[in-house]
Amino acid sequence: MTPRERLLRAGFWTVPPLAAVWFHWLALKTWFLGDDFAWLIHSTEFYNFHEFLVAVFKPMAQGTIRPWSDRIFFIVFYRIFGLDPLPFHIWAMLTQCANILLLLAIVRRLTGSRLAAWMAALIWTVNTSQPIALAWTSAYNEPLCALFILGAFHFLLRYLETGQRRYWIWQWVIYLLGFGALELNVIYPALASAYTLLCARKYFVRTLPLFAPAVLYTIVHSVVAPTTGGAYVMHFGAPMLKTFYAYWSRTLAAGFLASMIRLPGWQVTGAIALMTLGLMGGVLCRAWKGDRLPLFGLLWFLFLIAPVLPLTGHVVEYYPFLGSLGLAIAAGWLLALARRQPLGWRLAAAIVALVYIGYSVDTSRRSAQWEYRRSQRVRRLIQGVQRAHELHPGKIILIDNVDEELFWTGFIDHPFKLLDVDYLYLTPGSDRLIIPHPELGDVNEFIIPQGVAWKALMKEKAVVYRVEPERLRNITNIYANAAPPQWENAKPSRLDLSNPAEDYLLGPEWHEIEVNHRWMPRRATLEMAAPRRAGASLHLVGGAGKSATQVVVTIGGIRLPERKVTSDKEFDLTWPLPDAVVGKAAAELTIETDGTFTVPLDGRPLGLVFGVIEIIER
Amino acid sequence: MRTKILLVALAACLVLAGCRSRKKVQVQATEEEAPTLASTVHTADPRVAAQLLSGFYGIEDNAWRWSAGKFTVLLRPPRMSAQKGAILALKFALPEPIIGPLKSVSLSATVNGTALPAETFNKAGEYTYQRDVPPNLMAGEAVKVEFALDKALPPSSSDQRELGLVVSVVGFEPK
Repeated sequence: MTPRERLLRAGFWTVPPLAAVWFHWLALKTWFLGDDFAWLIHSTEFYNFHEFLVAVFKPMAQGTIRPWSDRIFFIVFYRIFGLDPLPFHIWAMLTQCANILLLLAIVRRLTGSRLAAWMAALIWTVNTSQPIALAWTSAYNEPLCALFILGAFHFLLRYLETGQRRYWIWQWVIYLLGFGALELNVIYPALASAYTLLCARKYFVRTLPLFAPAVLYTIVHSVVAPTTGGAYVMHFGAPMLKTFYAYWSRTLAAGFLASMIRLPGWQVTGAIALMTLGLMGGVLCRAWKGDRLPLFGLLWFLFLIAPVLPLTGHVVEYYPFLGSLGLAIAAGWLLALARRQPLGWRLAAAIVALVYIGYSVDTSRRSAQWEYRRSQRVRRLIQGVQRAHELHPGKIILIDNVDEELFWTGFIDHPFKLLDVDYLYLTPGSDRLIIPHPELGDVNEFIIPQGVAWKALMKEKAVVYRVEPERLRNITNIYANAAPPQWENAKPSRLDLSNPAEDYLLGPEWHEIEVNHRWMPRRATLEMAAPRRAGASLHLVGGAGKSATQVVVTIGGIRLPERKVTSDKEFDLTWPLPDAVVGKAAAELTIETDGTFTVPLDGRPLGLVFGVIEIIER
Repeated sequence: MRTKILLVALAACLVLAGCRSRKKVQVQATEEEAPTLASTVHTADPRVAAQLLSGFYGIEDNAWRWSAGKFTVLLRPPRMSAQKGAILALKFALPEPIIGPLKSVSLSATVNGTALPAETFNKAGEYTYQRDVPPNLMAGEAVKVEFALDKALPPSSSDQRELGLVVSVVGFEPK
């Protein structure tokens, strides 16, 4: 091998991964946000091996079981590195580098062309699905699933090439492990079968057993981890076509860019049509000539995007991450072939490639910056709260001026639990700045009631911080002085019994707070806001003690129908409220049960335990 | 060999993951308000020592200070106290070595020069001296509260200090 060849060989393997790291550098600097906090908190919630197994394998988050990508990844990195996202991102980037190396190896093996492999790596690297998949730690399942799919496919090709059984076994092992990364791994048998059907037909039948684990996984998964609803409800039929176009136009970047900046409609449609025409023309042309590899690349995209098409209400930027690998394989090969064509064809191919790369680079950059900017807002909030907690230990922290974006990325998953900040709320009226998304959570759970805020401020048990562009600003005195006097007598319609600031609403019977709940003896009283309109209901979520079998509630002197509960089990009870309590200054509640038990060395009579009691008005 | 290395690495990761997580949270400076006087002073808190204007000795047992027969503190009026008034509260202990020889002590206070009713104690124990303070005395940024005992234990050979009460907390509570 000449030095030039050696250099070319080294460059072939090193330049694409390094270029990817350079292009996605901002991903390494992106902070945690959104679902990341749910996984980080989840990483802290086991104390023995059995609980560890539950934490790793129990279905969570819309019915997912992803032990490697969501569970063990967060558990290991959080337990070692704490709340520092850089090691998480470095690991995700290393996974992506491995993906690119596998892609290079696969395309070179499929085509025999280094140029095709390079083009495929370039096309995939700039694809608009990449920035979020690499920058958002919770989306690590995508690069990891790609690693398993590419790894298994690589060994399939090695088997087809050599006939050695060990490659066939490795393919199986990697394929089976891939189920722990992402559900989309079930598509792998379709990829393997499609490839053998199109390009190595005599092995087609051999790939069919790969479907057995996929079918079994799908059945087991649908039984033990059904989809929980919300945005993940599936809609089959015509709306899927619209979703397909959304993903297609996003994968080709122009449609994605149009969702970020204003672009003329003709420009977007023209660019998508041009790229689609170029790709489809190439695929058909090559298929006509007996080369079915581009067709396989196209099928790869279709197979991997198909499972998310029924999620018509949940179009996500990074979902084409795995599918775009297929388009990269097809386009990389077509571009390499174009080099041998007459000038006109070469020019046409170059224009299509440049349009794709131009739109993709711009869109990916904007997407990465958007994610980075959002995450930095969350970082400033979390680290500012940590400082406020250090400066004012034991005080309730109220956060003012939290907008829509910051709430849904930095509040909803309770990140402050990671800081041991138990009492942090949004200031009253914060809901005006936040558009509700009931499928994601209830803003009102985070807002401190007016009366409670007043009491906490006047007794100097609370500090108020305002979110400002660069840092949090302590505005406690200004806020307290400006608090409307009518707050003083305002009663909350939602009572968090684990919040010490709400003690003044409870009768003397209640026991002390224990983490996020509070026990009552046989009978306890409390006060809250009376409903303002007819048709309200009382909602009690709690647990029955070992001797409690019934719950009796009296509100404003009116006894509500008695409810049976199961001893030592949780309950969730709702009563329609009588109109007679509507409009009263306050609702006085008495809660009673029929039996208490006592824990040795504790001595307290324990009847029922509660977290939240609320009056819901329609 | 490679498989063994991988297995060792995996085991190391799991062991590390099993360890107690290190709490590694960076902080970001916040923009704080100008420091203000406290409306309640824990006498053992060195950060508010400047508000103990006179009549207090050093911190003992990280929990309290001896007072002399007269002692003065500077307190910030609580929020809304200019409209509603506040409650002055002094938490203290009266130990046997003091009440024994003195038989009884009478504690009185003045807020910005206006006297509040005195209270007499004649048994050892822990007490809270509480008095309503009317709104008109709670104006301004700071309120000077002077306490006086009718009797105190004079300096002796065993302790050169004049000793009054064992004071732990003094402050205003909002109404």
